[in-house]
Amino acid sequence: MAKARALDRRRKSIRSIRKITRTMELISRARFKKAMDRAIAASAYTKRMTKLVGDLVRSGLPVSHPLLLPREETNRAILLVLTANRGLCGGYNGSIMRLATARYRELRESVAELKLEVSGKRGISALKFRGVKIDERYTHFEDKPAFEEVNLLADRYLDEFTTGRLDRLDIAYTKFISSSRQQAVVETLLPLAGLEGFEEDEEGKEHIGETPYEFLPSAASILDEVVPASFKVKLFKCFLDAAVSEQIARMVSMKAATENADEMIGMLSTAYNRARQGQITGELLEIIGGAEALNE
Amino acid sequence: MQCIVVTPERTVRDEPAEFVAVTLFDGEMGIAPGHTPLLGRLGFGEMRISQDDRTDHYYIEGGFVEVLDDVVTVLTHRAIPAGQIDVEVAEEHLRSALAKEARTPELMAVRDRAIAQSRAQIRVAERAQ
Repeated sequence: MAKARALDRRRKSIRSIRKITRTMELISRARFKKAMDRAIAASAYTKRMTKLVGDLVRSGLPVSHPLLLPREETNRAILLVLTANRGLCGGYNGSIMRLATARYRELRESVAELKLEVSGKRGISALKFRGVKIDERYTHFEDKPAFEEVNLLADRYLDEFTTGRLDRLDIAYTKFISSSRQQAVVETLLPLAGLEGFEEDEEGKEHIGETPYEFLPSAASILDEVVPASFKVKLFKCFLDAAVSEQIARMVSMKAATENADEMIGMLSTAYNRARQGQITGELLEIIGGAEALNE
Repeated sequence: MQCIVVTPERTVRDEPAEFVAVTLFDGEMGIAPGHTPLLGRLGFGEMRISQDDRTDHYYIEGGFVEVLDDVVTVLTHRAIPAGQIDVEVAEEHLRSALAKEARTPELMAVRDRAIAQSRAQIRVAERAQ
């Protein structure tokens, strides 16, 4: 009975693992829904901001701002990496780390002073293992990043950028494209590449001056405020995207794990039944053989 | 007149209003129905929205106000109902802001902004009491 019992024990342990992975799948599904709702709620602001920039451009204002100008020399840069606090989410952390370390190496060669900032325990421990020095670590961004927390970071980056202590800010995170597609990317947030709502206004040119806005204090001063605000929103969106993508990654990988466990349970059940049957046959043969021997 | 208040996190309010008062960069401005199209830069301070004899007080932090077609859109980083402001935290922020060094014009601007924010929070909270 030894082999059958061992198989049965394995089957039992896989069943309990399946229970865990199934629960995790359900939890991350619920969290994904919440994170998604937050991302959708946040998009209202982005939309209105884009519209506002469009209105500004339509009023015939040339868009220029220190945050939009590329620096002549990049001496000080920050690379911010957004990873998860927990594992068991498939290739989520791995693909970010792969991209981030590639960019880190690239920047270290070209930039004199490079700081590395990592959010998420997974990324921190992966880099520690590789012996990379981390300048700032954040572990408080969970699946619900608050704007206030991101705002603190954003303010610091903006302050450093305007005072010349920072020339470039790169961020490695997982971009949410659709619920079936997320992609790890590295983007340069500072200097800003452009303002959303600014590019798409080629056909809107004829509407210039259509709405006679009253600007308080002036269109230029509003632009001064719009540019940092749109940077903050961009940074916040990165955090939201990362949170949503993490939950999706975990959901998908836990679903796959549950399915694999199902398959394995099936295989083990077949093997167990076969072994049990074999044992019974063996024992029957022994009994019959014994009885035959006694008869003779 | 419709009044929409949006923060990066969520839409705080999307309701009709009879009168809206916001703090601009240089002082308060009231917006009544039928206001001319306007784009204004907000400061740190109080926002009041009146509707049916009820006035809601909020603390708002920077951003913009847009008036167009009888819709007031307030885009701000934070919109906290005045009753929920933690005065102790704000005072703590004010103390640390006052202690900041300001040796260059940029650092001074950073410091002034932090001071203005905390002072505005305390003011709004005290007025609401």
